[in-house]
Amino acid sequence: MTAVVQTTMPTPTSRLSRFVQRQGWTVGVAVLLAVLLFWRISQLPKFEGFEVRTITAGTMSLAFLAMAQSVVVISGGIDLSVGPMMVFANCLAVSWMGDRGLGTCLLIALLVLVIVVALATLTGLIITVSGVPDIIVTLATGFTLAGLALFVLESPRSGVTPDFQRVIAGSLSNPWPSVLWIAGALVLVWAPLRRSRLGLAIFAVGSKRNAAFLSGVRIARTRVLAYAVGGLFTGLAGLTVTAVTLGGEPRETIGTNATLNSVAAAVLGGVALTGGVGGLLGPVLAALCLTLIPAIMLGLGWDPSNADTARGVIIILVVAVAGLVQTRRRVS
Amino acid sequence: MSDVVDEAPPTAAESTQVVAAIAEQAARPGWRTRLAERPTIVLAGVFVVLYLITAWKDDSLFTEGGVRSVLLLACPLAVFAAAQTLCMLTGGIDLSVAMTANLAAYVAANQSGSGEARALALALGVGVAVGFVNGLAVGVFRVNPLIMTLGMASVLLGVMTTGLRGWLSGSVVVPDIVRQVGSEQLFGPLPKNLVVWAAISVVLVLGLRSSGLGRMIYAVGDNQIACRLAGVRVWQVLLGVYVLAGLLAAIGGLLFSGTTGSVGVDQTNNYLLPSVAATVIGGTSILGGSGGYSGTILGALILTVLNRLLLRLDTSEAFRQILYGLVVLALAWLYVRLTGQKVAEGGG
Repeated sequence: MTAVVQTTMPTPTSRLSRFVQRQGWTVGVAVLLAVLLFWRISQLPKFEGFEVRTITAGTMSLAFLAMAQSVVVISGGIDLSVGPMMVFANCLAVSWMGDRGLGTCLLIALLVLVIVVALATLTGLIITVSGVPDIIVTLATGFTLAGLALFVLESPRSGVTPDFQRVIAGSLSNPWPSVLWIAGALVLVWAPLRRSRLGLAIFAVGSKRNAAFLSGVRIARTRVLAYAVGGLFTGLAGLTVTAVTLGGEPRETIGTNATLNSVAAAVLGGVALTGGVGGLLGPVLAALCLTLIPAIMLGLGWDPSNADTARGVIIILVVAVAGLVQTRRRVS
Repeated sequence: MSDVVDEAPPTAAESTQVVAAIAEQAARPGWRTRLAERPTIVLAGVFVVLYLITAWKDDSLFTEGGVRSVLLLACPLAVFAAAQTLCMLTGGIDLSVAMTANLAAYVAANQSGSGEARALALALGVGVAVGFVNGLAVGVFRVNPLIMTLGMASVLLGVMTTGLRGWLSGSVVVPDIVRQVGSEQLFGPLPKNLVVWAAISVVLVLGLRSSGLGRMIYAVGDNQIACRLAGVRVWQVLLGVYVLAGLLAAIGGLLFSGTTGSVGVDQTNNYLLPSVAATVIGGTSILGGSGGYSGTILGALILTVLNRLLLRLDTSEAFRQILYGLVVLALAWLYVRLTGQKVAEGGG
């Protein structure tokens, strides 16, 4: 007589616990953002269109850049050239737009997007074909892109038509265009993407490359496409800079700082640097938090230089706490 | 695009052929295998060729002054890259070297009034303290090194800019001994800072090869979990590495301020990314566990001469940067091709 082995059915996890596990981090960042926002509002004499627009327009480029970085990091890579790429897109757009009208500017913007996506795809191709680690490739292409930015725009220039600003970032007291562009990118690009085959493949490749390969995912193709999607968001970031400042500045440190901030926002937003974990909403909220912190400190009458310290400490603490939480989850 | 999935699985006959080919290659190493085993030879070759090309455009490279200026400029880069090499061997990275160097050099210049020994000790202390915090976070709290050192750089920038109006205010004079080491010459074309660089090189090359910590650094970089299971106290190794990196960063900062005679909030920031590039060109894998300092020395020399060549070419700043990036990429690619240090693309 054979012994009957009884296995108990695994109890399905509750909806709540699944939600907490999947979206807990994003909710946490949203709560942090709400707290910071209330703090900021309490500092200002009034909080209307102008104040909202200052925050949203000031965050737009970092938000897009954080999205770009997040897509690449989720696919298991990292892109240290997003900052220089953004500066390049900005400079290219400004050098072509000059003082032309809105219609021409929008066409140019589209062309700039196409070029940036092409360059990002090329970066992805170089990474997959050469086998050189992504950090190194993007470090080197970062140098090259900073040079290209200088090449297309030798010195800082301004004078892009304010109409362009109205369309992308909104005029002085109208925050809606900036909010809509970010929300549009999340809802119209990211939401369908993450449900598509490519989106699933990006998460699969990022979380376990060998397992993804054995399940028939095309690794190289997926990684290159992740860089291409990242390029789209980077291009948008560059155009945003153009719209907000109505000019371009080919300074190398702008790119470097932007890259560092994009990594910080991605990580704060719950994207694990090991790949395969996270989304794009978290990083966008984190980008808002990162822009609010210096403003709040300024409002408190602190030395704005302390903002650098505060930002660094917050990033380190959040990542350390997240690491501890993850370790505990693994043990239990 | 190399599409891994589309390749048909090898038949039995093909597999046998492949095995035979590998066996044959192992028995009679070709020039490629031999080069792959000694990548420093390739790097030295690249350096010599680059040096000759540069000298063809700029004859001063064959004079004492030319050699001296190359060594002077390469020295801080090589010391920063030494810090980077140590961290990268464990699979980490240190993006706070430049800010650590700036702060250390500033502290030294700020304190030079109250005795050189005290100034130097405080400057090196800054490096050790920064490294200790980095190491504690990376080793004990498991913070990703990229994020940790990035955050640290941001913190140091804030501390330094506010400090300039507080505890760092007052006169700044680069200490005499730092200035001497950084700018005077030993004899012939050799600058005095070469002594510091040489000492660091000897300690690092020998230490990584034969000391206990050195071997442990490679082991931790290769497989941290295996190390932990084998009883290695991984956190202690990481702490040691980041403290050493902080110390080296402080030394690099002092050397730089000695050469330029200046201190500033962001004066060595342009060395940060080249220090990573020099390490990578020198053959240290950013994934950890393979490489060494001898390659990094050549990497730093190559980048310095490359910079000089690009400056010499009568082109714009823009074109120089474009070329710089492309050459770094090409060198890294060449290195990977030669040594087969390729990152597994999937299934491998």
